Amino acid sequence: MDMNIETPEDQNEENSRRVQVRFKTKLKPPQKVPSNSIAIPSNLTRFGLSSVVNNLLQAVNPEWKSEPFDFLINGELVRMSLEQFLLAKGISAEKVLEIEYIKAVAPQKEEEPSLHDDWVSAVDGSNPGFILTGCYDNLGRVWKAGGVCTHILEGHCGAVSSVNIIKSDVCFAACAGLKYVTVATASKDQTLRLWKVCSGSWDCTISLWRTNDSDAAGNQVSIKKRKGNNQVEEPQLEGEAISTLVGHTQCVSSVVWPQQETIYSASWDHSVRTWDVEMGKDLSDIFCGKALNCIDIGGEGSALIAAGGSDPILRIWDPRKPGTSAPVFQFSSHNSWISACKWHNKSWFHLISASYDGKVMLWDLRTAWPLSVIDSHKDKVLCADWWRGDSVISGGVDSKLCVSSGVSIQ
Amino acid sequence: MRERKKSSAVEVSSVKKKKEKKTKDNNEPREQKEKEESQSIMKQQKNTTSRSKKEKQRKATEDYQSLRESELSGDEVHGTDHDVDNADDHHEEDQTDGSEGHRGVEESDSSEDEVAPRNTIGDVPLEWYKDEKHIGYDISGKKITKKERQDKLASFLANVDDSKSWRKIYDEYNDEEVELTKEEIRLVQRLLKGKAPHTDFDQYADYVDWFKYDDALHPLSNAPEPKRRFIPSKWESKKVVQYVRAIRKGLIKFDEPKEEEPKFYLLWGDDSSAAEKANHLAYIPAPKPKLPGHEESYNPSLEYIPTQEELNSYQLMYEEDRPKFIPRRFTSLRSVPAYENAVKDSFERCMDLYLCPRVRKKRVNIDPETLKPKLPSRKDLKPYPVACYLEYKGHKGAVVSISTEASGQWFASGSTDGTVRIWEVESGRCLRVLEIGEAIQYVAWNPLPELPVLAVSAGQDVLILNTGLGNEEEQRRVKDLLHVETPTAPDDNMASIVSWLQHDKLDGIRLRHFKVAFSPLSIFSCIFVLVLDLGLVEDHLLKNLLLALMFTLDGVFGRMASQGRLPLHVFHPTRSIFFVSTKKNIRVYDLLKQRLIKKLETGLKEVSSIAIHPAGDNLIVGSREGKLCWFDMDLSSKPYRVLKCHPKDITNVAFHRSYPLFASCSDDCTAYVFHGMVYSDLNQNPLIVPLEILRGHTSSNGRGVMDCKFHPRQPWLFTAGADSVIRLYCH
Repeated sequence: MDMNIETPEDQNEENSRRVQVRFKTKLKPPQKVPSNSIAIPSNLTRFGLSSVVNNLLQAVNPEWKSEPFDFLINGELVRMSLEQFLLAKGISAEKVLEIEYIKAVAPQKEEEPSLHDDWVSAVDGSNPGFILTGCYDNLGRVWKAGGVCTHILEGHCGAVSSVNIIKSDVCFAACAGLKYVTVATASKDQTLRLWKVCSGSWDCTISLWRTNDSDAAGNQVSIKKRKGNNQVEEPQLEGEAISTLVGHTQCVSSVVWPQQETIYSASWDHSVRTWDVEMGKDLSDIFCGKALNCIDIGGEGSALIAAGGSDPILRIWDPRKPGTSAPVFQFSSHNSWISACKWHNKSWFHLISASYDGKVMLWDLRTAWPLSVIDSHKDKVLCADWWRGDSVISGGVDSKLCVSSGVSIQ
Repeated sequence: MRERKKSSAVEVSSVKKKKEKKTKDNNEPREQKEKEESQSIMKQQKNTTSRSKKEKQRKATEDYQSLRESELSGDEVHGTDHDVDNADDHHEEDQTDGSEGHRGVEESDSSEDEVAPRNTIGDVPLEWYKDEKHIGYDISGKKITKKERQDKLASFLANVDDSKSWRKIYDEYNDEEVELTKEEIRLVQRLLKGKAPHTDFDQYADYVDWFKYDDALHPLSNAPEPKRRFIPSKWESKKVVQYVRAIRKGLIKFDEPKEEEPKFYLLWGDDSSAAEKANHLAYIPAPKPKLPGHEESYNPSLEYIPTQEELNSYQLMYEEDRPKFIPRRFTSLRSVPAYENAVKDSFERCMDLYLCPRVRKKRVNIDPETLKPKLPSRKDLKPYPVACYLEYKGHKGAVVSISTEASGQWFASGSTDGTVRIWEVESGRCLRVLEIGEAIQYVAWNPLPELPVLAVSAGQDVLILNTGLGNEEEQRRVKDLLHVETPTAPDDNMASIVSWLQHDKLDGIRLRHFKVAFSPLSIFSCIFVLVLDLGLVEDHLLKNLLLALMFTLDGVFGRMASQGRLPLHVFHPTRSIFFVSTKKNIRVYDLLKQRLIKKLETGLKEVSSIAIHPAGDNLIVGSREGKLCWFDMDLSSKPYRVLKCHPKDITNVAFHRSYPLFASCSDDCTAYVFHGMVYSDLNQNPLIVPLEILRGHTSSNGRGVMDCKFHPRQPWLFTAGADSVIRLYCH
């Protein structure tokens, strides 16, 4: 079957070569094209290929609404014209080329920004029901979808620098500014459990905190602080750090605790360290050369370390590779410091990064260019996270919480 | 005659034989005696042969005469067929002729019997008498007139008629005509052919060996052959053995063959090199004129011929720059005109050669690259601040001073708009704005991290303020420290200078100066050092110490103040040493002994800033003329290095606390970052490498960057600009 496909590049079709391709996909049947090989001009780009696939789908199903696709050849995303791509990768154009197409990953729509009173310093979207934000006005807020604030959490007398929902349905911990390491847990089912929380601080150490079981019955919110609190009517719980991980020589800027036994930390002393929780010792040390601001663990086998710091490069290390501390990937499209990076919790390839240049970028490990750039902030972006698996939430200096939804990641 | 000849021949042959023998025995040194004998014999024989030769010649002439007479007689007999009339005359003439020729022949041989020629002029060239009518004089002194010469036509006619005219020769010498005889002609013909003149003489007669050995019964010598002729010489062989041994032992050395220098030489080489080889006075050859090239050919290729445009452009050039020679084309060499400047050129060349002083120049041939100091590459000196990523905006006026907190989490900035702002480094957030009301001159954090206290100099006052940062316990301590009972005990000395008051609006202490002798800028960091040294001391003790310090320095400050300048100062980081700058010099005081230790001479016009290395032995000084001096206190009182980098005033200089970095900022809106490595090894001098120029600030009211400070832990640089922006440059 040889089909003549009308594409935007048809004008100069006669003076370009043609390539035999076969499209394949893992998508469900309505998005599946017949697996015949067709000849297409080799100067097509991603957009051209996408319209080819849409045309094919329309030929099968007349009610098909065209949608953007992304294309993979040998596990790499096509980001230039097909001809250039084949030339750059040294792939023969004589054989029938197998092109896998996936749904293009880009935010479909921009939801209304949620306005805060001050800079948004922290955001967490691990619960699909709500978004938790920390703000420089000493308050934590719980948002239900875009623009609807359901709860305001008071209690800190310093700017909230980090928030984290500990168990997806019930609790959150807010780590508020500076040396007031405060752990606040909120419970909806009116029970408190035993939590272990870790925190990094400016005194170069990582502390592990244990929150004690308390008489939480009947209290909507129980706040536990180390220092005096002006909300006198609520019970106060003093906690002592159960262990301290010492090793960093400068302030610990970010910690993650993805598994039971290991903690990853990034510091301004230019290193990423892996800690064993039980022993309290650092297992490995990756030296980077730049002061690091953020760290996250994810990707293939939840083992890749992504970190951004005081330069515009997002680096990704694979700690399983022995003997090297060189990053396996480096993404350098940002213009300023990277303030946050987060892996998608299901996909092995996708992650987001937020930068002081006001941009949030969506990355795929299979290409060196960002999949999309979310440019909704007017000033520095301080935090970013995934929400519900298909939205990117970010907060910044312009006091807005932006939600970009419709990111289709299978 | 024949016999005589034969005898002479015998003699000659014998001599020949002996000669052969001599040559044969020549090599044998044994027969030296024989040789001598033969030589003496030869001498005798030579004498005899020379004598016999003369005799022979005489005999030969006689023979020739008799022969000629017989011939002549023959001639008479056979000459009948010729003209008989002239015969007599001819005969007479012939006779005379023959005698003359005879004499001529004899003349060449010997001059014994010479007959005077009839010619009287002697042996002079005849040309002398060419134009004269006479030729010589006779014995009576009268001129001998020349014969009348026939004119050529007459003589030709006469020759035609005369059949014998071909035989006649005119003898110019004797002025007469001679007719050659047949014999004479024959003789002449033989001579022309190269034969012997006489017909009878056989040049190639067979050799007759008169002496025959074969027939001889006895040998010439009957002596038996001596034994030595056929036995090898014993003494010779001994001598040979001796030589062989000597050679083997190396006693006799043969001259090694000389290495011959190549005979070729560089044809086109410069003469000067040859002259240099010579050891004597250096000869400096004249510079050679340039050799003509293709363009000076009479018919050069077209590309050498200038176009009309080029020719016109020559007219616009200065006369000196114009090309001396403009190539032209001629179809043939013939049409090439004379070179009009030939004389002028050669004159100028001569003048050049004459007037130009030729002195051999000793040019030092040094590659300028080798003179540059070997500096390490910038890549190896990383990290250092490179690019600006963060800006701290908020001030409304020029930011005059910044100071970082010890942990590097916050920094404070003071501006001319009367506010002090405290910033968070990481996010660029302004945490606090402290309204002072007066233009800020200087801000400084407490170097101790557990007391987050800020000192601010504004107007005549020094304010010590609580920043409100840090945890509750720290806040409590700070509040205790900054509490002053309002009625201070009247101290007679202290009261005249400064009063300690609680700041009415902000949380802190105000030190009010009554006597504005010098700017409070100079002392407030002293206070901090004292606070640090003594901990939380009682107020009056602090005051007393301060007072002592002030009196120590009163002289310096007073003089500086009278010059209308602010004295700059730094404390030694570890020892009780205090550095104060006067206008041009740095004075170093020991605070404990209260006296001057050292005086550093900067050589600058006006010192604008000083900073001390964290180790304490090195000092950098910035100046208003844009120069930066590095002092090594161990080396001398003169600067170790002077860096001239900024085109405008240096406003501030700073050292990094831990990295080997220092920076200078200037009113030209740039900050320079240098690598300044100080080695613990005393033998190694500090290494200074310029690293980076940091740009980004804009000029405002002629001021550029007002202050620069390093982050205490990261290799980052904060710069405060007159454009009210603070920038952070990261690595």
